[in-house]
Amino acid sequence: MYSYSIRTLDELKEFLHRAMQLEHATIPPYMTALYSIKPGSNQAATQILRVIVVEEMLHLTIAANILNAVGGTPDLASPGFVVSYPTPLPDGETDFQVSIQAFSREALATFLKIERPAQRPHHLVGKGLIERKTSPHTIALGSHPRHENLHFYSIGEFYSTITEGIKYLEAEARRAGTTIFTGDTSRQITSEYYYSAGGELFPVTDLKSALEAIELIIEQGEGDGGGIYDDDEHELAHYYRFDELVKGRYYQKGNRPGHPTGPQLQVDWEGAYPLKANLKVAEIEDPELLEAATAFNTRYGEFLQLLTRAYNGEPRLLLEAVPIMFEFRNMILELIRNPLPNHPGMNGGPTYEIPGNIQAAGSRQAEVIA
Amino acid sequence: MLFPVESALKADANTVAATADYDIVIVGTGISGAIIAKQAAEAGKRVLILEAGTGANRTLAGYDDLLTTFYLAAGKDNQSPFPLNANAAIPRSPQLRKLQAGETDSSTYIVQSGPYVSDTTYTRIFGGTTMHWEAKTPRMLRSDFQARTIFGQGLDWPLSFEEIEDDYRLAEREIGVSANVEDQQYLGQTFPDGYVFPMRGLPLSYLDQQVNKGIEGTSVELYGETYPLKVRPYPQGRNSIPNPAYDGGKGYRPIGAVNTHQVEEGGRCQGNTNCVPLCTVQARYHSGKTLAKAFAVNGERRTPLVEFLPQAVASKVNIDPDSGKVRSLEVKVYKDPASPAYETFTVKGKVFVLAAGAIETARLMLASGLRSTSGLVGRNLMDHAYLLNWALMPQICGTMRGTSSTGGIVDLRDGPFRERQAAFAIDIHNDGWGWATGAPTSDLLELVDDRNLHGGDLRRGVIDRVSRQLLLAFMIEVMPVESNRIEVDPKYRDALDNMRPILSFTVPEYTMKGAAYARQFSRTVFARMGAQDHTHYDPSDFGYVAYDKQGYAIRGGNHLAGTHIMGTTKTNSVVDKNQRSWDHENLYLVGGGSMPTIGTANVTLTLAAMCFRSSRDILKSLH
Repeated sequence: MYSYSIRTLDELKEFLHRAMQLEHATIPPYMTALYSIKPGSNQAATQILRVIVVEEMLHLTIAANILNAVGGTPDLASPGFVVSYPTPLPDGETDFQVSIQAFSREALATFLKIERPAQRPHHLVGKGLIERKTSPHTIALGSHPRHENLHFYSIGEFYSTITEGIKYLEAEARRAGTTIFTGDTSRQITSEYYYSAGGELFPVTDLKSALEAIELIIEQGEGDGGGIYDDDEHELAHYYRFDELVKGRYYQKGNRPGHPTGPQLQVDWEGAYPLKANLKVAEIEDPELLEAATAFNTRYGEFLQLLTRAYNGEPRLLLEAVPIMFEFRNMILELIRNPLPNHPGMNGGPTYEIPGNIQAAGSRQAEVIA
Repeated sequence: MLFPVESALKADANTVAATADYDIVIVGTGISGAIIAKQAAEAGKRVLILEAGTGANRTLAGYDDLLTTFYLAAGKDNQSPFPLNANAAIPRSPQLRKLQAGETDSSTYIVQSGPYVSDTTYTRIFGGTTMHWEAKTPRMLRSDFQARTIFGQGLDWPLSFEEIEDDYRLAEREIGVSANVEDQQYLGQTFPDGYVFPMRGLPLSYLDQQVNKGIEGTSVELYGETYPLKVRPYPQGRNSIPNPAYDGGKGYRPIGAVNTHQVEEGGRCQGNTNCVPLCTVQARYHSGKTLAKAFAVNGERRTPLVEFLPQAVASKVNIDPDSGKVRSLEVKVYKDPASPAYETFTVKGKVFVLAAGAIETARLMLASGLRSTSGLVGRNLMDHAYLLNWALMPQICGTMRGTSSTGGIVDLRDGPFRERQAAFAIDIHNDGWGWATGAPTSDLLELVDDRNLHGGDLRRGVIDRVSRQLLLAFMIEVMPVESNRIEVDPKYRDALDNMRPILSFTVPEYTMKGAAYARQFSRTVFARMGAQDHTHYDPSDFGYVAYDKQGYAIRGGNHLAGTHIMGTTKTNSVVDKNQRSWDHENLYLVGGGSMPTIGTANVTLTLAAMCFRSSRDILKSLH
């Protein structure tokens, strides 16, 4: 089996660009599921999804900070940055895809797979990257940026490769009396511009802060070293928050994975609008819905351009991004609450087909970054 | 911030009553009780905190239930999110009516004995009135602490500004105040070198900027002095951008929503206009945030040091006749807000802290027969008098955007004129005429019913009306007057058979003189801005006060103070400068009730600062 180590700074930058793409790719499915929930129902699910979306934005920003720290140039507006849903995720056994869909048991099952802990199933331990063919025009998340058919078992495993690469390259640089952390520190996004109660944004300026940043992403996603909380014994990892919804019960301190013993919570599986999964603009016939779907995609593209500028030396622009998030909510609700003509029982939804994002056939991510 | 799961547990009343080793028993979970509970727990003391409300809103789910109640309520008044609970009743302003001469109205929770009918409110739920406060956090001015000496009005504090300044900084840290020092250095206010607020100031709204455009560079004359005008930002207890320079460069970590179930929410202020009555995202401070820290402190046995007993209404303070010390507290614990059934328990501790708000703390003392040596319990009731002035701006000003109030005109908070008339601070209301007229609902009804508009015309009509609305709320100083007071009478009782507060109040002439000038001031600035004055006061309004051939509708400010006033001796006051009762050495009466004057500052920051002072005194007394 193929095993891979990052050996050059360019490769590291490609991996970090892919990391941003990976973090971003979780946002449309989580955000759509969140807004698909009918008002007044699924309070617990709403809170859990909202918090996770916000933390994915944190992870996206952390990845940008690391890329900036090593002298890279974050670009969320580059062709192919936004994946086309449904899209595959790292997986060695059963083939599953991430979809834009309503809050449902099926959506939740996928979310759990996205956030699953790094440990591989027994029969895969010790093996290298997993080989799986994807169609030539699809970007598989968690895959190797230069070898699209090679995949990591989990997001944690993907980041571990980055961690090892950073350590290796920095050690090599130090032997030569230099460092890989040559980025302009004024490009770092700090806690002035992003905070939530869970997780904190800090500047990445050296090996220590870079490793801490990656640690935070992994722990918030899947927990610390097989436990259900991050290392403060404080914040429950995303995987276990989704598991709470599946189990209908909250975790509490001292619980083992898979066995929450906290208070019960209510999930109403009917309490979501029936939006058509992975809707595409081309399928929408109603002119008003079409206009709304296109307007959303255009605005989303502008949002990614704004983020790109913010991550390229204008952190203050992140404040301007906040009201756009409210626009997204309003635009998505409009789409999700209206029936889709010719699809009985189904509603519209956001398609996330971003103008200018469509990747030319055959082009590779590596070329985009170079 | 998360509460530990254990803190979601209610203490059991029987166990509480059987416990003899509480260091401190606190009545009330508002900001005063919360600060003292937290300071005591961090010093390793064992604390019991009692709350009259159900306490359901200490979880995120319970808080969100309040929001749902608010969204569904037809009238969005200060108390609209808070469900009816006859066992811990609260004043609700929509229920008020004007009194005839000599009449008493006992139909509302506060018995209105007149002549002025006050719509002042406070909230008897977990978090107290910080659950509905607007969260403006100006400091009092130096002169406010010496009103008698400087202006010959009101009283002097037994504390100077210098003595309370460190505690102001502690209160600003606890609340997480957003402000820029350079914006607050007016009227001689000073800050230590290098001081910054925990978070950066929130920006002025577009409406503030439009008002400023109309008045900046102009001035007003008052008794021969000139006062230049300008719109300045208010310091606010809501999350903005943490200042990395805070605390010598350590920065400040904002606190979002509080919860027990691992779901971390809340964060930055999003500019919703419903700060009052309830912030949708807990960006606005409430004392549940301080209590979350208190509940997280564990003692030696790894059990929480602070126990929480909700649905527990303190009904009597029992005094040991020999020592004069408080022996115990009688508490009525109800099972269900919908039923008046209750059980009575006796709670013991070393120190007792009454932190139930200026009206309820005085009510409890009086109901216990404790008027104090000075006889001043319940007297000197103060609350800012609000006079509303409203107009339509000539241009669209984006009204309804931003938090309730981001800026105001504060240059008349101080000056030699205070020898003759009350000072005021002016809030520019980003939520339009709502407080005065019920806008925007009232506008909508008028456009539909009277002008028969619909469709596009109706939408444009609403935009044209609402987005030009300007409301100036004048917060006018009220000095202590002994006859303005809270009393009790066995005739008037609540569902748990506790005596209800009776309010007697006359708006002092000093204040009315300030109100009359405020009206004149409004006409002047409206004219300068080209705004069309729509202000009118209805003689049938419950708060209508006639003064000097004119009439004014005065509103309460919910800044209650004075009822257990602080002073220098047991004959001129109820508590000393540490808020300790002169008569009962293990009893502290804390909160706005201790304040001898309120100046033109919303009271919360100052009373929070005083509670840090009292915490130190309590801890000292326990050693």
